[in-house]
Amino acid sequence: MSELLDQFLAEGQELVEAASEHLLALEREPGDRASLDGAFRAVHTLKGAAALFDLSPMERALHAAEDLLDALRGGRVPVGRAALDPLLALIGASEDWIAAIARTGMLPEVAVAQGGALEQALRAAETTPVGGPTASAATPPDWLPDLMTAEAAAIAAAQAAGHRLVALRYEPAPDCFFMGDDPLALVRAVPGLVALRLLPRTPWPETGPEPFTCNLVIELLSTAAEAELRPVFRLVADQVAMLALAAMPAAPAGPGAEPVGRSLRVDAARVDALLDLVGELIVAKNGLAALVPQAAVADPRLGQALAEQQAGIDRLAQALHRTVMGVRMIPLARTFRRMPRLVREAAAALGKPVALELRGEAVEADRAIVDGLFDPLLHLLRNAIDHGIEAPAARIAAGKPEIGRITLEARREGEGIVVEVADDGRGLDPTRLRQVARERGLLPEPALAGLSDEAALQLVFRPGFSTAAAVTTLSGRGVGMDAVRAAVEALGGRVTLATRQGAGTTLRLLLPGGAAVTTLLLVRLGDEVYGVPVEAVAETARIPAGHILPLHGGEAFVLRDRTVPLLRLAALLGLPAGPRGAGVPVLVIGTGEARVAVEVDGFAGRAEVLLRPPTGLLATMPGLLGAALLGDGRVHVVLDLPGLIG
Amino acid sequence: MSVRLDGMVIRLEGECRVEEAEPLLALLQEAAGREVDLGAAGPLHTAVVQVLFALRPRIRAIPGDAFTARWLLPLFGVKEGQQE
Repeated sequence: MSELLDQFLAEGQELVEAASEHLLALEREPGDRASLDGAFRAVHTLKGAAALFDLSPMERALHAAEDLLDALRGGRVPVGRAALDPLLALIGASEDWIAAIARTGMLPEVAVAQGGALEQALRAAETTPVGGPTASAATPPDWLPDLMTAEAAAIAAAQAAGHRLVALRYEPAPDCFFMGDDPLALVRAVPGLVALRLLPRTPWPETGPEPFTCNLVIELLSTAAEAELRPVFRLVADQVAMLALAAMPAAPAGPGAEPVGRSLRVDAARVDALLDLVGELIVAKNGLAALVPQAAVADPRLGQALAEQQAGIDRLAQALHRTVMGVRMIPLARTFRRMPRLVREAAAALGKPVALELRGEAVEADRAIVDGLFDPLLHLLRNAIDHGIEAPAARIAAGKPEIGRITLEARREGEGIVVEVADDGRGLDPTRLRQVARERGLLPEPALAGLSDEAALQLVFRPGFSTAAAVTTLSGRGVGMDAVRAAVEALGGRVTLATRQGAGTTLRLLLPGGAAVTTLLLVRLGDEVYGVPVEAVAETARIPAGHILPLHGGEAFVLRDRTVPLLRLAALLGLPAGPRGAGVPVLVIGTGEARVAVEVDGFAGRAEVLLRPPTGLLATMPGLLGAALLGDGRVHVVLDLPGLIG
Repeated sequence: MSVRLDGMVIRLEGECRVEEAEPLLALLQEAAGREVDLGAAGPLHTAVVQVLFALRPRIRAIPGDAFTARWLLPLFGVKEGQQE
């Protein structure tokens, strides 16, 4: 695939995320000029990129989106669901198309029809005039830009301090003084006031103001929420308009106005190549360590000097390893930011209003982990909406806010990271889980009855389990919690679950911060050397050939008064077995009754390597963990012995 | 009595209610260049603020009322294009 196309795919994904983020912000704050400009820029750039690659259905739909966003910017079309829904639908489709292009190198065939339909929907939304049925609250009020400009300094200061602002305009009735109103007395009661403006409602008469006619308009900005401001003005609510501000709308609008971080886009493969080299350096360093004792025997002073040098190289190699691993670290934001739009879609499909809160997007993890979290997190979020959050009526009946709340949070914890998906829904009911497990025949009755409530919760992780009475189209799409667990474990993590009935469920994903160096035990079989992760090996031993006895058509020997079955690695790999020497080298794996010994031809030491997952044809072979490249250029196959034995 | 003329200075004292707006307006319109002293003034009614905002007389002394000093005083500044 060409470098240009690669770049388009990477940038396209980022632009889709940016557009989606801005559109969702705009949905929350329809007057937010910065988000509107941001969405326009992202769509404009994406359209330009699509044009380069002759992706015409995508380009045409994006062009319609650009026109619609331009109409929103010009105030010709109101900001509201009528405009945002087709825009978000297009962004969703674009994401799918980009993923398809990454896989196949071209737009999927459905894109022609899909793009055409979206283009039509966008063009239709563009012709909805301001003042139409959807205009109402969504149109940014015309007084706002003026206030924003006049109070830009106060806004910048408040936003820099992390405050969200509400803009309020109060037009007291001209005869309000006769009614006993004192408008500014209300303003005195406004919490969190950061700016105040007075304007004449009509120009002052030549003869000066009418002392008993109120000709003032009051505009203000406050850090208090709308809900706090409303009570202050409750008696004059008809004379007050307010609007929450999201970001600094006075920011310049032109393309390229976003601040550019000092960063360099490097192909991930180059970073991986660098990491491979570091891995080889570590292996070479280990080889040097082995030479030190030998040198010390020949010449103690040379040995001493070599040991000191070796320690220095050891430190440097480790520092280099940490640094390169750091380059692979990216913020979780890359996965987190794709969620709000997908959650919105899922919530809309199920008719459950849901607010998603993201926290800790800046937490970093290895790229493989950040990307690998996408599917499990999406599944957990959909699960939370589908099974966790109750229908609005049920929530109200339970005394909860109508809008369901889901939090997606990441934080560092020790060496690793924790990612949590928490909902405030109905929680899991152990009794019901047991019942479902019974109906599905997941466990025999006595085992089910004996499960503690805590253990019953773990049933959701069993293959074939779904708590929904009927598998819905959404979260039941072929994957269950067992798939989530498998995906997280493949990333080197684990999943735990906590629930409080009626109060919600929290899924906790504990993940390593970065990929780690694996220590391999190297074993020889014929002319080949294979690697086995040391964690998989309980012990190594040499068994006198005479102690090996035939047993049930196989072989076994006695180790510390216990019979251990013996398997030959050659047989496990389907290779011809070589001749057996007097002392038979074996790896003992497993513990207790499950102990098994695997016979090899010899031990070849240890090595610290960076395990690369198997690719291509190898990926389909059972019993393989991957491959490791050593400094001498040889590739060692790394075996999953427990998997090989089955 | 909380609106009082003292030479060229109009002194507002204590809480200024809606009915103070008319005498204040009259005193300001009677002679050009009169200043307003808010040093002893309490909370100002909107009608009083409106007179000060529309006519923009020179204000003397820091208003004794904190809200007036922080939020209203800057609004009584000299009108654009109408120095002095």
